[in-house]
Amino acid sequence: MAVFHLQIVTPDRMVYDGDAERVILRTANGDVCILARHIDYAAPLGIGEARVTDAQGHTRSAACSGGLLSVSNGEARVIATTFEWADEIDAARAAAAQQAAEEKLRTMQRDDVDYALAEAKLKRALIRQQVKG
Amino acid sequence: MAGASMKDIKLRIKSVESTMQITKAMQLVATSKLRRAKERMENSKPYAQISSQALRAAVQRCAGQSVPFVQERPVKNRLYIVIAGERGLAGGYNANVFKALAAHCGDTPYCVLPLGRKAIEKYHHAGVELLDDQYGRVESLGVKACYRLSRMVAAGYLQERYDEVWLVYTSFRSMMSQEVQVEKLLPVPPAEEAPQRNVDTVYEMEPAETLERFVPDFLAGRLYSALCDSFVSEVASRRMAMDSATKNAGAMISDLTLRYNRARQGAITQEITEIVAGAEE
Repeated sequence: MAVFHLQIVTPDRMVYDGDAERVILRTANGDVCILARHIDYAAPLGIGEARVTDAQGHTRSAACSGGLLSVSNGEARVIATTFEWADEIDAARAAAAQQAAEEKLRTMQRDDVDYALAEAKLKRALIRQQVKG
Repeated sequence: MAGASMKDIKLRIKSVESTMQITKAMQLVATSKLRRAKERMENSKPYAQISSQALRAAVQRCAGQSVPFVQERPVKNRLYIVIAGERGLAGGYNANVFKALAAHCGDTPYCVLPLGRKAIEKYHHAGVELLDDQYGRVESLGVKACYRLSRMVAAGYLQERYDEVWLVYTSFRSMMSQEVQVEKLLPVPPAEEAPQRNVDTVYEMEPAETLERFVPDFLAGRLYSALCDSFVSEVASRRMAMDSATKNAGAMISDLTLRYNRARQGAITQEITEIVAGAEE
């Protein structure tokens, strides 16, 4: 299959820099799949599972949240807030984060300024556990 | 007389020696921290670079639309995000940052978001309005803290608490030279080059909304990389300062040792003279 250049970055590191066959990501509007020779494209990322198939055809999944997906001149760039491969996820930590977030949400009002933040935290924790499987 | 001065010199040598031990230890600590700090800085660069490209593309696309993060408005108040060190003894590192701000701000009223204990102390004493004074340790500020800060900064900007946001940090050029940078973060400066063919880009959401969502992320990444950059600069300039302090102490000790030996020799000569004079009588 044709490949394209894919870069995945988070503020503290370059997670992936190389050729890929396919990448599936959750944008704010739903999942998208990027293949080689995609049109120039930009979308804000949501919180969800990401799947990257590299040039050798191996697929890895990861928990990805926030940021921007941009494709230009046939190169894809994932500018994410967090991006963790499944084998890097600490399941115990994610479970603890889920509990803490649920606890927090219970004490909050829906219109609280931090409600959306706590909700995002819960979502991230759930996705991490789901990716870890 | 000669005896007392010998004792004085000896004491002096001892005190310089113990100071030298401290400066040497600090130099070693700085050297060992430097490697990790540099690694962190290198790792933070790709995000800052790639995200600023993406931001520029989105800003070009939004030209002519009213996006609050891009639109200029009359400047009544400015926010400076100031990155300084946690401690002194790093040559001119902290002072240079404060000087750069003082030279830049002119007559425009401003508030400060200080990062690093030295910056907090400085602007607290100066009576400047501080956005937050909880971030004293630059070394341990991670990505998470940067997101928290960038959300706070972006929210304040949208509420028009300030009309411009500037970042004052130190950029690491080499071990010998670090340079203070004053960079405009908000409103996002328009791209210099002419718009390219990116008008064809398909946006999942309205470009303006995409931009609005993305700016806080971009700010967080920029802040994080500036923090890493500044910390490397701090450690490097501390290493330099401690290196020259250790060298100075060494020079002082050899000078004092010379004086001590002279005084000792003088005392012996005097004693012999006195004995010989006594024998002759």
